[in-house]
Amino acid sequence: MTTKLLNEDQRDCLQEIANVAMGQSADRLARLLDVFVVLSIPTVGILTRNDIAMALQSLQQSNTEVTHGLTGVCQGFIGGGIAGEALLIFNGTNYHDLATLLRYQQSEGIKNELLMDTTNVLGGACLHSLAKQLDTHFSLGPPTLLNGNPDLASSLQERETGWSEALVIEINYSIEDHKVNCDLLLVISENCIDGLLEKLNYLLE
Amino acid sequence: MAQDDINHFLKDVHWLMDILQNIDVGLVVLDREYQVCLWNQFMQNHSGKAPEHVLGQSLFDVFPQLPQEWFCRKAEPAFVLQSAAFTTWEQRPYLFHFPHYRPITGSAEFMYQNSTIIPLLNTHAEVSHICLILYDVTDTAISKITQTETNNRLEDLSRIDHLTQLFNRGYWESCLEQEFKRFDRYHIPCTLIMFDIDHFKRVNDTHGHSVGDDVIRVISQCLKEEMRETDVAGRYGGEEFCVILTATDSDGGLEFAERLRNRVENQRIMAQNEIRVTISLGVCELNESIENTQTWIKRADQALYHSKNRGRNQSTQN
Repeated sequence: MTTKLLNEDQRDCLQEIANVAMGQSADRLARLLDVFVVLSIPTVGILTRNDIAMALQSLQQSNTEVTHGLTGVCQGFIGGGIAGEALLIFNGTNYHDLATLLRYQQSEGIKNELLMDTTNVLGGACLHSLAKQLDTHFSLGPPTLLNGNPDLASSLQERETGWSEALVIEINYSIEDHKVNCDLLLVISENCIDGLLEKLNYLLE
Repeated sequence: MAQDDINHFLKDVHWLMDILQNIDVGLVVLDREYQVCLWNQFMQNHSGKAPEHVLGQSLFDVFPQLPQEWFCRKAEPAFVLQSAAFTTWEQRPYLFHFPHYRPITGSAEFMYQNSTIIPLLNTHAEVSHICLILYDVTDTAISKITQTETNNRLEDLSRIDHLTQLFNRGYWESCLEQEFKRFDRYHIPCTLIMFDIDHFKRVNDTHGHSVGDDVIRVISQCLKEEMRETDVAGRYGGEEFCVILTATDSDGGLEFAERLRNRVENQRIMAQNEIRVTISLGVCELNESIENTQTWIKRADQALYHSKNRGRNQSTQN
């Protein structure tokens, strides 16, 4: 991993913060759904645009054959000199299982409801915990459904973005005994990272 | 408090109230029982309900159309977990049915709405109220819906043969490629039928091209009625058709071919006088010896020529 954007200490510190955020948001999810959430260690890395596009493509491929493209929700966050986008990508999720967990009577035709409900709980909790640890507050933009958008990965490679590298925190949530699995990707591009570095340095002092 | 401070404070509050009243989003504050505690100008104007008819009432009494169970499900996390919740027009087009009001440039019947529900803390840092923020996203929604519809229509246009409403050759060939690959992986039998109309040139020459088109349409209709949902039919050329029968072996393919041949033979096509046409078919099941889709088509074509040479109006397996 190239760590031009982030030195070793800063990376460790951020890893620690991500671990706590994962724990707190998983705890919230577990309480809400009354289930065990399998804890995994978030990965913190600096990725190029190409890397991110490839990562998105691989999440897309592990989707079931029926859905094309990515299924999930994206949401912008900004505050304390930090700005980025949270992508909650569902792959290998059985929506009937998810509907049961969220206590819906039926599971037909409510996929968007399920995605939004999960985003409201997970995305919000994780970002809230991150912001709190960094002693700041994020404003969250309205979430947008990705609904099988097949061009997201390729447009990321083709479009002029004004950044080439980004900090990516990837957190996987899966639920014991249920076919429910999603990845939360927090992407902070290099041009929006200064505020974060400042906060990390402050914590390291 | 000094007089200056009070004046300053009052001015701030005055400004804030002005902003809340005039901002172009809906603001509603609700207490734990979902009784309305704040109802801004946006909400008043769009709902046509003045504050005195709404304040202190349960939101669900004032708006019986708002599904209570659904709304509470979204709002409860704000009370319990102190986290904001969002809803989009894609899950539910609107919370409140507000008629669309722009007579010239408006294209929707009602206002599409996104909403955010945020917790409001009291002085003990408990969530005593929530604030519902309502956004008018009609323009975004309409353009997204239109774009999706246009894309679907373009996709259809690029796939469908205009005269027969079957797949055109290009798209059908890409389907054939898919089936070929699928066979490579799963080895489920798959059979291809190519067929064409016997003496079609004679129909055109005798009755004219528009009758010729009618014949082609009638035969496409026969094909559509005969095939299953999983079969893939296309118009290969002028009077040549093709159909992929999934999960079907050669004998099943021949059975299908004969059924279709019979159906076509019994059609009476009305022009100035009644016309009857027949078709000749070639059937070829995919097997290991067929190395690509061109060969597959060629094999089915060979069977088709065999049917022609033996006197037409028949089916041949290869």
